[in-house]
Amino acid sequence: MRQFRIYIVIAFLMLTSPAIGQVEFGGFLQALHGGRLDEENPTETEYTASETRLQLKMEHFADRAEFFGRLDFTYDAAVMQEYDWELREAYMKFRLGRDFDFKVGRQILTWGTGDLIFINDVFAKDYRSFFIGRDDQYLKAPQDAIRGEYYGNIGAVTVIWTPRFEANRLPAGRRLSFFNPMSGAIVGASGGMQPVMPEAKFENSEIAIRYNKHFGYFNTALYFYHGFYKNPVGFDPNLGAPVYPDLRVYGASVRGPLAGGVLWLEGGYMHSIDDEDGDNPYLPNSSITGLFGYEKQIATNLTANIQYQADMMMEYETYEMQQSSSGGYVRDEVKHLLTSRVTKLLYSELLKLSGFIFYSPSEEDMYLRLAAEYKYTDEIIITVGGNIFDGEYEATDFGQFQKNDNAYLKLTYGF
Amino acid sequence: MKTLKYLMLSAIVAIFIFGSQASAEDATEIMKKSHMAYYYAGDDGLTDVTMRMVNDRGKERIREFAMLRMDASDGGVQKYYTYFKSPSDVARMTFMVHKNPDGNDARWIYIPAVDLIKPISADDKNSSFVGSDFSYEDVSGRHWNEDKHALKSDSELDGKPVYVIESVPKEDYGGFAKKISYIDKETMLPLKEEYFDDKGEMIRIMQLEKVDTVDGIPTATVRSMENLEKGSKTYVEFASIDYNVGLRDDIFTERYLKNPPRKYIR
Repeated sequence: MRQFRIYIVIAFLMLTSPAIGQVEFGGFLQALHGGRLDEENPTETEYTASETRLQLKMEHFADRAEFFGRLDFTYDAAVMQEYDWELREAYMKFRLGRDFDFKVGRQILTWGTGDLIFINDVFAKDYRSFFIGRDDQYLKAPQDAIRGEYYGNIGAVTVIWTPRFEANRLPAGRRLSFFNPMSGAIVGASGGMQPVMPEAKFENSEIAIRYNKHFGYFNTALYFYHGFYKNPVGFDPNLGAPVYPDLRVYGASVRGPLAGGVLWLEGGYMHSIDDEDGDNPYLPNSSITGLFGYEKQIATNLTANIQYQADMMMEYETYEMQQSSSGGYVRDEVKHLLTSRVTKLLYSELLKLSGFIFYSPSEEDMYLRLAAEYKYTDEIIITVGGNIFDGEYEATDFGQFQKNDNAYLKLTYGF
Repeated sequence: MKTLKYLMLSAIVAIFIFGSQASAEDATEIMKKSHMAYYYAGDDGLTDVTMRMVNDRGKERIREFAMLRMDASDGGVQKYYTYFKSPSDVARMTFMVHKNPDGNDARWIYIPAVDLIKPISADDKNSSFVGSDFSYEDVSGRHWNEDKHALKSDSELDGKPVYVIESVPKEDYGGFAKKISYIDKETMLPLKEEYFDDKGEMIRIMQLEKVDTVDGIPTATVRSMENLEKGSKTYVEFASIDYNVGLRDDIFTERYLKNPPRKYIR
């Protein structure tokens, strides 16, 4: 609350400053309503979404720096029946000398090459928003961070320091049910246990580093991350609660033009620091994961892409033994994931039809996203869409959401 | 006698061939000069653009953006940087094109709301630019070498003496089968372009609605493109034009795609 007041004061000062000509405002008002398509779901509500959102954007330019802020006010009628707000972004950008760029404050962070597949992008995601039809921008959760970038002849180096660990926002049972390994079933809000966050200590901060270099039109990158798994995939028997285990990621990617399209390759080693031998049944094993993708405009106003990801677990035999003895779901040593996105633009790009499918032959699950977006005027956008999950098993990545199929309607007024 | 007849015949043929070649060369030369005047004015430039798209029912859409351009060499590689200002759903997005006259262009878009840089597959230069009646190629120019040009006549358009040039793509092209350009003899700007399909039907008309002199350079400040098949028309208005501002090459990189150069874009 105190933080909020400070931002209001800053906003007020900027509004009243003589440089008002340099301030830009914008935002949108949005109504989102979504309902379930499945009969039985252990969640509290019939609605996956029923909310009104007002986003206010403000930008301020000075000679050597700029400020940007986005503030969301929401009223949620689906679950909480209450008002809420969130500071989505509030950062300043400035340059030191010719070669250093800084972005400091609450910000959305993204890197890597995958289309909705994240390997080296270990920044906070919001799957609660992603699965119920909120705008794409809400898949990314903000982090309070400092980003420093160096641009030189050797390439570009980016260092992102997030002092306080920011976790992924995952379905917690209120709107969306999920699989709870402790109870071995798909559960609602009552079945979940609150994960315990890493303590707010300097040594628990997150560090993400990227080295980036272009070879012609090919962009190559090396990545490093030190922090925690963004999902609570560990369990602390002393606390009796899910935890975010220590994680290091080493990775690389390349992206560039090929045969009139765009090709990308990315790989990473997920190093589960506290369970190197895989013998701790409460912590995840390390894994190696690789991604291949290709996108091409296949006809006028029609673009399609495909991706293939393989994820190989290390020390699999130990894992298999542990899981079999506890009677839990046993994943394959190598998980395969195929995805495809198809986007069609119609009526002078006023109507956009899009579909995105995730399908895993090894996990036998899938997730389909469909949306039709119509720009009725420059201000008003009407969107209808759906999220469909299916899976042979209740414990898999998408299979656990199989009772959450939903369809939604969204109206946006931009200003 | 026979020899003389052959000699005369060959002379006539020779004159005919050289004559027509001269005309083709003239036409190509005119198109090249026109291309330079229209797409390569100055070494670089920046402008504010207002795009008004009117559909067949008279409904209007407005796009506002700032555009920077830099020429690596006259008639060669060009780099474009676009910063969208409105409408709200595209505001603050940036878009960059490296135009390669000899190959595929490279295009990138940056979506600030998710901090995402995305290269766009740019196979089809004929696809629409932000949903308007202009194609990417209309914005950045079709290389004069891709078409065969013939000078049809010298004529007048709105009281201005013009070259009338017919251009036919050397290779099959989806954009048009024939183009007639009316090129101002004084400024070399294409005052009007008519595009025809393979059935000989006129499909699109481009017109320079207003030409002003900016920094001593004749510049089209309002241009329009009418799509006769769809019944839609797009007007593009350029304001605050500046030439030779000394744009640096590094502005047209991913660094600036993420961090718009506020010195030029506000």
